Amino acid sequence: MGRGQGVGAFFSALVAFAVGVTVMLSLLLGDNPALFGDRPGSDELARRIALPGDVLLRLIVIFLALSIVIGIANLLFVHVSRLTSGKFYSAVLLASFGFTIYWYVTRRGDTSLLEAVQLPIESALAALLFVSLVHGSSRVMGKRNDIWGLLFVAVVVVVLLASLPLAELAPVKAWSDWLMRIPVSAGVRAMLLGIALGMVVTGVRAVLGQDRSYRG
Amino acid sequence: MAENTIALLSFVLTLMVFSYLLGDVPLIGNLYRIAVYIFIGMTAAFTLIVTYEGLILPYLQDIQDPSTNWTTLGNRVDIYIFFTALLFGLLLLLKPVKSLTWLTNSVLAVVIVVGAAVGAVGALTGTLFPLLQATVAIPDNLTADFSALVDTLLIFVGTMTGLYYFHYQARTNADGGVEQSFVGRGFRHIGKVFLVTALGAIYASTVLTCLTILTERIGFLFQFGA
Repeated sequence: MGRGQGVGAFFSALVAFAVGVTVMLSLLLGDNPALFGDRPGSDELARRIALPGDVLLRLIVIFLALSIVIGIANLLFVHVSRLTSGKFYSAVLLASFGFTIYWYVTRRGDTSLLEAVQLPIESALAALLFVSLVHGSSRVMGKRNDIWGLLFVAVVVVVLLASLPLAELAPVKAWSDWLMRIPVSAGVRAMLLGIALGMVVTGVRAVLGQDRSYRG
Repeated sequence: MAENTIALLSFVLTLMVFSYLLGDVPLIGNLYRIAVYIFIGMTAAFTLIVTYEGLILPYLQDIQDPSTNWTTLGNRVDIYIFFTALLFGLLLLLKPVKSLTWLTNSVLAVVIVVGAAVGAVGALTGTLFPLLQATVAIPDNLTADFSALVDTLLIFVGTMTGLYYFHYQARTNADGGVEQSFVGRGFRHIGKVFLVTALGAIYASTVLTCLTILTERIGFLFQFGA
């Protein structure tokens, strides 16, 4: 790494640290006057602490909105360039995009295009997922022929059977309710806590400059 | 759009998507891809519309409206923020210019670190503290109801051992290999039982959701056909 690049990397890390610490402190301490006791001016102090975080968050939200516009423009450019090589599907995509924008501009507030095209395709794709899921679960026992595969399939079968509206399956429904209330609740809590801990650690590492994923 | 036209379009597009199940049959195989490309084009258009109408336009309107001040500095702050965001966007487009890499990396650093900080604080206050409180909370009727005691203990053990499952610690043995302690292995196995059960239930719920949607779609096809 050259000296110029080293200085640049240090500058990026410094910016990241300053911004990260500011946002974290603003979010944790800002807009919460109770933290500063009953002394006069605690409201104003809490508001002032929250201000830098608010400014940075607004900046990022607007930046992300502009990034989405840039991303869609890039998608269109890519498909326009593919048109020259005779790609039919790119023409379909561009026509669909253009027609939707035209519809929106000429008939403001009319959501029938959403109902007629977007919702049926989304629903049909979600319905297709059922086939993939059933196929996947049938392969679990073939690939993982052990106690864990058996437990997984057993839980799936119990939950699916319990959803049937049959009086004969009342005991299965009781099992399923217990499963949902105790082991599933505990397992999901463990997963959520693991995800939350991972997010906290990753966030702190990024703020401290340990994880510099922004270096291209 | 007339109701009949909406129903006809829905019918045709549903059949086009379901044609995926027939595999690579000539002509019919293309129908699925056409439906997917229509979907992508329309989603991109709706995303653009929502972004413009929901974020950019209200922001630009707020800048012009003095009654929407949220700082003592007036609407100037909003103007500075908007132009800084524009500048950030332009700087990202300069990413291929080698001599300006430090500048584009700094912009990316701001975006990533703000996201990481918001995520960390959100996870801490929104997930970690409430879930830990809920897990260690003792119900009021615990001494009176033995089953409530067992349930609370099971949830506590399941959560802790499930969390322990994500932690891998091993020691080097005399042969130079690594091995886990007996207790650690036991905890991981108990945790795995809870995690596999939870994943199975989530999988079953997803299957049920998709089955409901499939039933609705098939019902619609038959209804339209009749």
